Amino acid sequence: MHATIQKPIDEILGYLKPDEQVFVVGCGNCAAKCHSGGEPETEEMAERLRQRGVDIAGWACTSSGVSLCKLSIVKKMLTEEHKSETEQTDSFLILACGQGIHTVMDATDGGMVHPGCDTIFGGETVNDNFITEYCSLCGECIVEYTGGLCPVTLCAKSLLNGPCGGAKDGKCEVDRNRDCGWQLIYDRLRALGHLGEMEKYVMPKNNSRWSRPRSLTIGEGEATFKSLSGERKVASHA
Amino acid sequence: MSKLQQALESGRFVVTGEIGPPKGVDLDKCLHDAEMLREHVTAINVTDLQSAVLRIGSLAVSARLVERGLEPVYQLTCRDRNRLALQSDLLSAWALGIENALCLTGDHPILGDHTEAKPVYDLDSVQLLKAASTLNQGHDIAGHELESVPGLFLGAVVTPAAEPMEPQIIKMKKKTEAGARFFQTQAIYEPEEFEHFMNQVQGFRVPVIAGIVILKSAAMARFMNANVAGISVPESIIGEMEETAKDDRKKKAVEISTRVIRQVKPFCQGVHIMPLGWDDLVPEIIKEAELIPQRR
Repeated sequence: MHATIQKPIDEILGYLKPDEQVFVVGCGNCAAKCHSGGEPETEEMAERLRQRGVDIAGWACTSSGVSLCKLSIVKKMLTEEHKSETEQTDSFLILACGQGIHTVMDATDGGMVHPGCDTIFGGETVNDNFITEYCSLCGECIVEYTGGLCPVTLCAKSLLNGPCGGAKDGKCEVDRNRDCGWQLIYDRLRALGHLGEMEKYVMPKNNSRWSRPRSLTIGEGEATFKSLSGERKVASHA
Repeated sequence: MSKLQQALESGRFVVTGEIGPPKGVDLDKCLHDAEMLREHVTAINVTDLQSAVLRIGSLAVSARLVERGLEPVYQLTCRDRNRLALQSDLLSAWALGIENALCLTGDHPILGDHTEAKPVYDLDSVQLLKAASTLNQGHDIAGHELESVPGLFLGAVVTPAAEPMEPQIIKMKKKTEAGARFFQTQAIYEPEEFEHFMNQVQGFRVPVIAGIVILKSAAMARFMNANVAGISVPESIIGEMEETAKDDRKKKAVEISTRVIRQVKPFCQGVHIMPLGWDDLVPEIIKEAELIPQRR
């Protein structure tokens, strides 16, 4: 899940030139679940902008459960189903994550885009009202040694070899309402009887795997991950 | 070999002090503070952007101490530098005549005066110690050979009063294995707890220098208890301070510090006195605690 929050309407209005015609695009998956860009929010955004004098060409949102970051679907939606409206529009306002914004650019052959949301993190949907972050997409998973809990994400300093000493009563120095990630890891390893894992030295991260932009090419029975660390081809059935 | 290393290796009880670099370029005050300590300590810690507040660098101030014949413990945190800068600064330190380096994680930027800064933490304190040890052995952490090699005496920190204590002890063991040759601790006010901690880390066979923060008032104690991790000032000490008239507080501060030092002395290899502005009390505390003058 890519968590997003809507930008304030005044910020969005600030992006638009006078007389600019805008087509609003939403996402039926993540942004819908965040209530930042599902069908009701997309329609509502079109209406709110219209009330503020913006020339709205129309609006569209992918079907429920379908992500805006799927190019073939978005291309069909914007250039076939909404052809007449999108042909004449000056720009697209995207109520979705940054991946969705770029997908709309690709789908419209380089159309002008405006971000309608801030993409805040990738997280677990714990329930319909709560999404939280457990992974930082670092490209080098080490949770084998931490009881499944990621210190890169859960520790404010992303420390790999244990707590910093700034925690008080199990809470982090950056925010006394926030759990110390290493306290959580320690408690879990202890409960699992795996405390010995905490004594192992963890090497510094290979940040070249974290270099952006990264890509994954998926073939028959294999996939190739590309980053500054080079190409890494893996067979999926080996 | 640094005087601190010589003292610790010869088994002599050491006293270290601390100065904080200023927010600006005039070093007169902090060099004056260092001069006050000259006759009383083996080495002087120089803090690195303490509390994540922008100040002049610990490398520059440490180098100025070297020029004056004072021995610095150069503090280096992982907060503001990636692995290239950390290793480079360690090499720079050695080239400037700095022999002791204390490797720390560093307070998070959100606690300081540049809350929007990017926290770096490319290495953590264990990895930094390992990197520094690797430099001492003639290589950088990418495995490349150095043309000439430093010989830094490496230290680390530990928080004995942390709750729970076990993760701190596990990390202390990792720091020792990564090359820490001495430890300085967070402020100690409960000697019995400290003794308990020291019993658990005896096996690491690494000198521990106990932290002594001079207590100025009951309010300061309450503030630290509420806000500073790993510091626990017992109610009895807070009460003592409360019952002391304002004019007698310095006397009381000397009394409390002296008592704690006498109580922890049998279990550790030195004390690290952090005066937090009451630098003038350090000579008296050292005298009252019957610590041997460190120089001359």
